[in-house]
Amino acid sequence: MAWAEIAAYLIFNTFSYYFLFLVPAAALFRVAPQRLRPWIIVLFGGGFFLYFAYGMAGWWGAACLLIFLWESVISRLYRPSSRWCMLGIIQSVVLLGIFKYWNFFTGLIFHHGVNPLRWQGPIKRYQDFLPKLRAEPMGWDGDWERGITRILVGLVKKFAVADLLTAWTDHLNAHDILVADRRILPFWALAYGIKIYTDFSGYSDIAIGSARLFGIRVPENFDWPYGRRNIQRFWQCWHISLTRWLMDYVYIPLGGSRVSKPRIYANIIAVMLVSGLWHGAGLNFVVWGLWHGLLLAGHRFWRQLRPVASNQPQVVLLSRVLTFVLVNAGWPFFCMDLHTAILFYRRLLAG
Amino acid sequence: MVSNLRNTLEYLAGERDEAPEFLSGRFELVVRCAVWALAILLIYAFCGQSSKFIYIDF
Repeated sequence: MAWAEIAAYLIFNTFSYYFLFLVPAAALFRVAPQRLRPWIIVLFGGGFFLYFAYGMAGWWGAACLLIFLWESVISRLYRPSSRWCMLGIIQSVVLLGIFKYWNFFTGLIFHHGVNPLRWQGPIKRYQDFLPKLRAEPMGWDGDWERGITRILVGLVKKFAVADLLTAWTDHLNAHDILVADRRILPFWALAYGIKIYTDFSGYSDIAIGSARLFGIRVPENFDWPYGRRNIQRFWQCWHISLTRWLMDYVYIPLGGSRVSKPRIYANIIAVMLVSGLWHGAGLNFVVWGLWHGLLLAGHRFWRQLRPVASNQPQVVLLSRVLTFVLVNAGWPFFCMDLHTAILFYRRLLAG
Repeated sequence: MVSNLRNTLEYLAGERDEAPEFLSGRFELVVRCAVWALAILLIYAFCGQSSKFIYIDF
């Protein structure tokens, strides 16, 4: 594989990211006067976009860069809530739709499965992030020590755990599922469950550690999700930034918990369907979202029947194991197309 | 006990700023160096498998 192709896949894993952008930018940010710091971010951020987006991803990268610059400039010319603002939002959504979901719709039309374009990661809000950027960082030494530790641990999760499990998760395809001993199938799914956790939490560690080098504390994105005792707690601890975003921008606008009981269940399932589509453009992601929506709705129904959770150690342990199993049972829909995922379950359950 | 173990792991992973009591003091620097050394060793041993991040699929 050409270096450019590798680099396109592995931005956070490249020497270029650390030694051309992150470390020089963080070091300059540290010694520069307060008034110059935003310009350092702009300079290195722009260079980062140019280098990786245009240099590595060709015309697609250039298009992304142009959209970013266009939005950056145009958003300063109109007032919030104005018609121009609405036009800007519509334009961004249309462009997002073209880039992210074009393949999904064309795939539906032509019954042809294609890999979606996906951009995901810790979601940071402008309102939360800007004050942190403007604040005077405290304790540079501690920030750098903790930040570098965090980055190293993230890379270990990625290289030494997630990538190592690829040897197992690569078997999650129609051919291998058909010929394999069915007793091995749960282990492949479990391997994917561990892989996606270490992969994504490792990615989040690197992002959080990178921000820490600038003295910026980004909220945590994972909080031991696999040890949680019910599906609601799992989602409060898995991809926390996305869960918060979905709560604020989908669940609450739909009425949240202040509507009739049937509507609450419908809202929960709707939110998880949106979550599924956010993760990727494909029917398998819709089914994955539906699975989690049903689990959350089922948990809510159970909590209405039994408002107080038992604290008996056996019950707590059983509920943790059950949550872990149910979450992992959903991953085949996440990592394979719908036909292959159904084949997986058919082989697993019916032989 | 589980809480202490969790706090220790979070500290070693750079997630928590405050060291657990049994790690604080002069021993703390040794532990930090050991974590960095072990991490660099593991990264060196396992890097180069060139698989993409699942969550960034260009």
